[in-house]
Amino acid sequence: MIEVHRVSKVYSVGPVKVPALRGVSFRIAKGEFVVLTGASGAGKTTLLRLLYRDDLPTEGDIEVLGHDLVPMRRSQVAALRRSIGVVFQDAKLLPVRTVYENVAFVLRVLGTPRREITERVFDALRVVGMSSRAQAYPAQLSQGEAQRAALARAIVRRPPLLLADEPTGNLDESMAAEIIEALKDIGSGGTTIVLATHQARLAAALKRRTMTLAAGHVVKDEG
Amino acid sequence: MVGFLVGEALRDLRRAGRVAASAIVLITLSLAALGGFWLVSSNLDRAVARWRDRVRIVVYLRREPSSPDVAALVERVRTTPGVAAVTFVGKADALRGLKQVLGKDAGVVDQLPANPLPASLEVTPAAAAATPEGARELVARLAALPEADEVAGSVDWVEQLSHWQRLLTTIGLGVGAVLGLAAILTVTTATTLVLHARRHETEIMRLVGASEITIRLPLLLQGMMQGLVGAVLALGTLVLTYSLVAPRLEPLVNLTLGLSQLVFFTPVGVTALLGAGTLLGGLGGWLARAGREP
Ligand SMILES: Nc1ncnc2c1ncn2[C@@H]1O[C@H](COP(=O)(O)OP(=O)(O)OP(=O)(O)O)[C@@H](O)[C@H]1O
Ligand SMILES: [Mg+2]
Repeated sequence: MIEVHRVSKVYSVGPVKVPALRGVSFRIAKGEFVVLTGASGAGKTTLLRLLYRDDLPTEGDIEVLGHDLVPMRRSQVAALRRSIGVVFQDAKLLPVRTVYENVAFVLRVLGTPRREITERVFDALRVVGMSSRAQAYPAQLSQGEAQRAALARAIVRRPPLLLADEPTGNLDESMAAEIIEALKDIGSGGTTIVLATHQARLAAALKRRTMTLAAGHVVKDEG
Repeated sequence: MVGFLVGEALRDLRRAGRVAASAIVLITLSLAALGGFWLVSSNLDRAVARWRDRVRIVVYLRREPSSPDVAALVERVRTTPGVAAVTFVGKADALRGLKQVLGKDAGVVDQLPANPLPASLEVTPAAAAATPEGARELVARLAALPEADEVAGSVDWVEQLSHWQRLLTTIGLGVGAVLGLAAILTVTTATTLVLHARRHETEIMRLVGASEITIRLPLLLQGMMQGLVGAVLALGTLVLTYSLVAPRLEPLVNLTLGLSQLVFFTPVGVTALLGAGTLLGGLGGWLARAGREP
């Protein structure tokens, strides 16, 4: 599913080189739920961004879902991303559209036949417990609800891989727990999940394979 | 999918609001100017073509030749270089013509003691002689005929008309081009606003793997819509102006230019106008996009 081989990433900020990842290697099998943890600045976001080809590694090879990520044309990047759902710390919902429209947007963008859209959107909203909020606008949602809507948008195409970067970062404990439950549900359906969080307690409570990053190295990989 | 793309484009238009509206107004102005000049010019063009066909040089004869001599004279003039056709008009024919023109006042003619009108030859210049130069040479040649008393007619004023027509076309193209350029720039500005307003959508589209076409088409479409709406408005303005002005102008035009009626655009012309608007708008949308390549 995912193979990362000796990957390094160095950001260049003007003349300054900022190393974010240093020689990272690991594999993630289909259906695994992996928690990526580590202090702020350890390189979690950088690693996730490499996995959905938002950026290129400075060195090393990455294979995701059978795609070799380094030599890739734009059309191939698009094809890769159609198989990956992504959620961020901020929900990134489109403000002038309802929850329903936000989730449906993904399907419409990708040309899903109209008659399938309603059903698939409500399926996704049900998984995250947001069916009753379909007609609400983002401004009318709590942060937890917004994040669940974003999660619904990420899974509405039933992608085999879901990447979540601090999805609970803005949430209080009970809302965070809801998101984690939803993620577990999605994972039990066979979706491979990589969840990045700096919240060590949350990572420990999950009881899943946990990879710990520190200063761009994988320092622990267990569970 | 088409519904989605058009929906997104419409949403973008609404977001660009006032700038999109001014882009539309500019497109309307530029196309109305272009179209208006084009209409005037094509009608003048018809007048010119018509007059080119109708130009006659009249050779008034010293005295009416006897009927056996007429054929020989006509034949001699017909073979003169630059002559396409010759018609002999005898004194009696001329008088009949005059009576026809006078209509109910024709009685005056009968009061005359003798027919005062000279016999004449109506010469149609060949196409090659229909230029001012050629016509002048032909007139000189005809004046040299021993039978000729006086030669009347030239193509100068037709050329004048043709000159005006060309000048108008040039001015029209110039004004249209300047306005068109302004229109493109305004569409570009409107589209740049749209790009900004759309950045969240674009981000999500890229994230979920939309094709570049899907990401860009709404931008192009909203530009084309601005252009098409502008063109339709321009066409409406022209139709309205034409229907108001044409009936009032036609008698005058008939009298001065000999055009019995004015013409509006053909279906091809209408299509071209709408196409030009769509193209202008699309170009504006496209330019904004090209400037923002990630
Ligand atoms: N776009 C960038 N340009 C330059 N440096 C960057 C960029 N993104 C990240 N970095 C640097 O790379 C290192 C790793 O950052 P990264 O965002 O991957 O960490 P993180 O583990 O996600 O942290 P956090 O828990 O705060 O989200 C940091 O030193 C950061 O400053
Ligand atoms: Mg991060």
